[in-house]
Amino acid sequence: MEFTLLWAALTGVVFAWIGTRLWPQGLPERATDRLIGAAAAGLLVGRLTAMLIQGTNPLRHIGDIMIVRGGVHTGAATIGAIVTYLWSVGWRIAYLDAIAAASVLGLAGWKAGCIWRGACLGAVSDLPWAWSLPGSVITRHPVEIYAVIALVLAAFIVARLSDRPLLRSGVGLATAGLVMLATEPMRPSLTGGPGPWYIAAIIVGVVASIAGSTLVSRFRLRMT
Amino acid sequence: MKRFPVLVVLSLVLVACGQEPVDVSGIPDLEVVTVEEFETHLQSLDKPAVVNVWASWCIPCRSEAPLLNVAVEAHGDQVEFIGVDVQDSQTGAKRFLAEFGLDFQHFFDRDRSIPNHYAAFGTPITLFFDADGQLVDTHQGVIDERGLALGIDELLAG
Repeated sequence: MEFTLLWAALTGVVFAWIGTRLWPQGLPERATDRLIGAAAAGLLVGRLTAMLIQGTNPLRHIGDIMIVRGGVHTGAATIGAIVTYLWSVGWRIAYLDAIAAASVLGLAGWKAGCIWRGACLGAVSDLPWAWSLPGSVITRHPVEIYAVIALVLAAFIVARLSDRPLLRSGVGLATAGLVMLATEPMRPSLTGGPGPWYIAAIIVGVVASIAGSTLVSRFRLRMT
Repeated sequence: MKRFPVLVVLSLVLVACGQEPVDVSGIPDLEVVTVEEFETHLQSLDKPAVVNVWASWCIPCRSEAPLLNVAVEAHGDQVEFIGVDVQDSQTGAKRFLAEFGLDFQHFFDRDRSIPNHYAAFGTPITLFFDADGQLVDTHQGVIDERGLALGIDELLAG
């Protein structure tokens, strides 16, 4: 039963792999491997952060780290994944831009994994395409399917952008944040969701895509 | 200088092996109930109930515990939260409750007769009951925030 998360992760990997085949221009060697490694590192960072916020010491309860369902901090996971990927490619911004569209498509795949997890549904709705949980008469928005469609569209838009430094990665981050923020009100939540982190992603993405060239020269990040 | 990483690793291992002191003196023994008493209790609530089956030895239950506290804070006035500690000792149960501060009613079910009655196997399990005490849904294994929120939403919308 817990393997549904692995199926969802595998769906994300397949989508990301398709992205690297659709948009191979400028990718580093073994791009999919680097992407998977970065996602795994981001997951670990997000899980450890969630544990610390919940008051659990990861050193005393190492086994708890594996229980991903216990919570993963979205913001920390995103930062961890981006930093790990950049480190793996020697801090070359061009490689971040090259992988941006595939990453957004990978995120769409992870969201599409809701089908295996039985976690596609959100707020109550009587729209014609609303779904219901097995055995329930209450129909709901298939909110994750909305997110998948929007993220796939976003990936294709990102792929068509110019090669200006940080433009694709900035727009990719911003559109992913925007899609998640727009669909968040339809997701049942106990904590209100990671809305502030989605807003932060949008702001950082927009700023990065506008000021990309300046940032690259100031922080001496390598382009190639 | 070469010894520094070794010292760091040794310090981490010592911290990891350390036992957290937990004061359980103020926590009473958990109430032992039969399946019939449990069902009667559910029917007397007049509101839906979320029943979490846990044990102090269960690692996944540790990851669920903070989530349950959040759920109680968010929906405690609309939904009754009940814990059922299975295949455990009273001391272990009290240590678990003291560590996580699970501030809702818990029953002690050493033989796990309650989850067995509802054909729910393994630990943890989360059972969703309507206001009449009828089982609506069973989630076997670790439940995440989304699953718990959706289950509660179904109870409240139903």
